[in-house]
Amino acid sequence: MAYRDTDHDDHSHGHVSYLVIFFALVIFTGISVIADVVHIPSTALKTVIVMSVAVAKATCVLLFFMHIKFEGNWKYILLAPTTILAIGLPIALMPDVATSYYISDVPQKYDYDEFMAVHGDHGEGHGEGEHSEAGHHGAEHGHDEGDHHEGDSDKHDGDIDHPEPNEDTSGADATESSEE
Amino acid sequence: MSDSSSHSAGSNLKMGLPIPNSKLGMWLFLGTEIMFFTAFIGSYIVLRMGSQGWPSDPHVTHISVIAGGINTFVLIVSSYCVVVAHDAMLKKHFKTALKYLWITTALGFLFMGIKSYEYYGKFTHGILPGKIAENDWQAAQQALAGFDDAVEDTGYSDMKLELAGLEKEVAGAEGGAKETMQARIDELKKSIAAIDPFANDVKQFKTYVKKEEWDFAELTQEVSTLKESYPEKASHIHEPHVILYGNIFASTYFLMTGFHAIHVIVGLILFGMVLKQGNKLDETWTDWVENSGLYWHFVDLVWIFLFPLLYIVDFA
Repeated sequence: MAYRDTDHDDHSHGHVSYLVIFFALVIFTGISVIADVVHIPSTALKTVIVMSVAVAKATCVLLFFMHIKFEGNWKYILLAPTTILAIGLPIALMPDVATSYYISDVPQKYDYDEFMAVHGDHGEGHGEGEHSEAGHHGAEHGHDEGDHHEGDSDKHDGDIDHPEPNEDTSGADATESSEE
Repeated sequence: MSDSSSHSAGSNLKMGLPIPNSKLGMWLFLGTEIMFFTAFIGSYIVLRMGSQGWPSDPHVTHISVIAGGINTFVLIVSSYCVVVAHDAMLKKHFKTALKYLWITTALGFLFMGIKSYEYYGKFTHGILPGKIAENDWQAAQQALAGFDDAVEDTGYSDMKLELAGLEKEVAGAEGGAKETMQARIDELKKSIAAIDPFANDVKQFKTYVKKEEWDFAELTQEVSTLKESYPEKASHIHEPHVILYGNIFASTYFLMTGFHAIHVIVGLILFGMVLKQGNKLDETWTDWVENSGLYWHFVDLVWIFLFPLLYIVDFA
């Protein structure tokens, strides 16, 4: 390996190699920022890019700046348990919160449905509940003042006491749209 | 193993790992630190994935990818300086080591400065855990609380209490005392009269907010009218705005970046101990520089993950 060539004694790994790692880290950071600034249409792709870059950077720092590459085998014994637990923790939490088939029944959910019905893409996620009706009014009879007010006051009722009829339909809508 | 004690003094056998105890201690500590930050980062990822929405618009969250990117760069440069400093320590170039450690420390302060600037932006816009309105009703309550506080700040109710007390006493008083009291009463009445219009308008706003039905656009209008009418008393009050899932966002953001910042401060103290040695710096400090360097790289490592997770990633 090119890095090893400059490795003359046990400890000194040479400034040139550190500089190479440094520039690699800077370039990786640049890639992350660029990935955010240019609008990548797929959020999944963007996530994969920036998280891969983060892993690459972390590997560089660990291996070279923290000298893990040049340490004895104790490094495995010392770091394996904590690494396994660190990876295991989020995976263990996942079924509780993030992967349920239903949307967590939090108050924000109702406002979010409304928000999406009014501001979101009108083509998606409209059921037959009150919310989609409000969206309908907004889209087609937006010029009609009376209609508007009616829709708005509906909204506030929804904010405060969350009428039951919404629950089923909006929940189903949300699952649909989050799948898309 | 048990017969290691019977070996003669010249034995090559050595118990333990071929690294200084302090370094082993540091690595064990970093092992626990990995778990510490994983708990926060893991919960954040799971909470965010489990949420239907998340505030991701930079104009709402006041998260600037440029500020985060610059801070990432700052930490990377500082990490580089630490490895160079440690290298210099091994070569007994203590002056060089000091120079690079000074740069590292300065960069640590720069990181904290940029972080403070980012925090300041969030504080002034009320992006704080538990302080964000997540629906119209909460936004109205928040505006109302702001106006109530603004009235209180003028000392309105205190003055009213004092006035009521004095008015009771003044009847029984005589001579000079009565005159002083009367003067104070007039003074209070004048001050109260000056605040009265504002207090009454706030009262009216309160009745409006307590109504069964109101319109958010109308509420916003009411708030800005109140603000404009009393700029010196109420200009600091935020226009009502709703950020869905804003509180959980703020909680996770401040938890992660806050604990990271505490680690940066601890790192700066570790380097400060070396810098304090000045020209007296010698090879006895080499392990210290290596261990605090390991710690500093770890702090950099955490930020390497926090940066994309907080500033860039958009979970679908």
